[in-house]
Amino acid sequence: MEAPPVTVMPVTGGTINMMEYLLQGSVLDQSLDSLLHRLRGLCDNIEPESFADHELVYLLKGQQGNPFILRARRSLAHPTAPWHLRYLGQPEVGDKSRHALVRNCVDVAASHSLPDFLNEMGFRMDHEFVAKGHIFRKGVLKVVVSKLSRVLVPGNTDNTEPLSLSYLVELSVLAPAGQDTVSEDMRNFAEQLKPLVHLEKIDPKRLM
Amino acid sequence: MNGDSYQGAQVGANVQSQVDTLRHVISQTGGYSDGLTANQMYSPQGINQREEKQLEASVESLISRVAHLKNSLQSFIYKLENEYDRLPWPSVLDNFALLSGQLNTINKLLRNEKTPSYRNQVIIPLLLSPDRDEELAKLTEQRVPVFSHEIVPDHLRTKPDPEVEDQEKQLSAEAARIGQEVAQKQIQTLNKLCSSLLEKLNSPRDDRDAESSALRQNKQWFNPTDTNALVAAVGFGKGLSKCRPPNSVTPGHPGQAMMSGGPTLQQVTIAGAPGHQTGIGTSVAQQQPGQPGKMPSSIKTNIKSASASMHPYNR
Repeated sequence: MEAPPVTVMPVTGGTINMMEYLLQGSVLDQSLDSLLHRLRGLCDNIEPESFADHELVYLLKGQQGNPFILRARRSLAHPTAPWHLRYLGQPEVGDKSRHALVRNCVDVAASHSLPDFLNEMGFRMDHEFVAKGHIFRKGVLKVVVSKLSRVLVPGNTDNTEPLSLSYLVELSVLAPAGQDTVSEDMRNFAEQLKPLVHLEKIDPKRLM
Repeated sequence: MNGDSYQGAQVGANVQSQVDTLRHVISQTGGYSDGLTANQMYSPQGINQREEKQLEASVESLISRVAHLKNSLQSFIYKLENEYDRLPWPSVLDNFALLSGQLNTINKLLRNEKTPSYRNQVIIPLLLSPDRDEELAKLTEQRVPVFSHEIVPDHLRTKPDPEVEDQEKQLSAEAARIGQEVAQKQIQTLNKLCSSLLEKLNSPRDDRDAESSALRQNKQWFNPTDTNALVAAVGFGKGLSKCRPPNSVTPGHPGQAMMSGGPTLQQVTIAGAPGHQTGIGTSVAQQQPGQPGKMPSSIKTNIKSASASMHPYNR
């Protein structure tokens, strides 16, 4: 038997051994302005960035084990910008002492031929969506408030339909493995967004 | 309160410097003038001994109060100028409270029965000099270096500024112009306005607080169901259409055969997550409600093909 084409071992060593600490929540459309207002007050005093991205999730299935998942993102607002390829590991919930979800995370910029390349490697697209929203920063903390839309006609990002009446709110930090203290900062920040948004560590497995 | 106390404080400081100036001048001129003593300077002759003593004592205490006020003002201004970036609001309020308290004590002192009426005292500058007076400058903290013709009218002024006097005259002229009845009416309107405003301000604040907090609690900012749906969507594409077009954004692979029947991301991630038996159970039940526990067909095929390939080897 030949070995599975790709291992799902986490990438270790060097600068790419980064973990993403994540808290998630949502806010109703009608409360969005209040939230943005508060974030503008809480976060670094720079003009908040807006974005419109198209994310394609690719799978590579081996004979056994988990499929290998890669997420390719491109900016709809800046079509000439490089693509963004991201690997996310299995999320770890951990115990109560850690206040955020942790997962392995590898980010790379890629050229525009990324979809072709992935296809040639045997990856297949599993699903796609469009995310539009705003990014705020406060030091290492990153807050993304985005509207998710499903793509009605595959590949046509102009024809989309909102997934729900809410905006997804994600608070994340990229840090080397083991720096669980950042989750403390994240929790403190999340406290300040209540009651507008309840940012929690949500185990995605629970939602399946 | 802000404007009030600050103005009051300025007046206080002004009074202090005036008093300083006067005392100094008085003590100085006392020596030069023929037989006039300091006491006689600011008490017209004929006042008896007791009243003189009272006056002395009240001026003394007034000076000390004003000095206190001046000190707290100074420290407050210093704080405002040098620590404005880290001065907490409560401490600003404390400072204001201190100032207004001190102004109050001064007012009380002035209204006290035992305090003789300063209004009845006459102060006459006896010696004006254009030369710098070091002693005076020291007493007034360099504010009044010279007791000259230029400065004395300002410091010994008992009437308001000419402009203020003009304004006052205008106002009284206007007041005289409008008739008694109109004035009555205006007073009534103003009283009505004030009382309604007071009523509004005094109306139980708790009511409003309770109202707004109830509003806040009733108002929904987020929907937990939406949170779950969104998280599931970004996490593993739940609710997003399972499109696997041959050339969605990847032109150039029109004829690519797709892996059909393979498990989707949702299914495999569940199966690959150990320790989540319940998750597997429920999701399988959802997908194949009629056949609980039956293996997905694709896996079956895999097993078949595997056994088929093994078969010749076994032989």
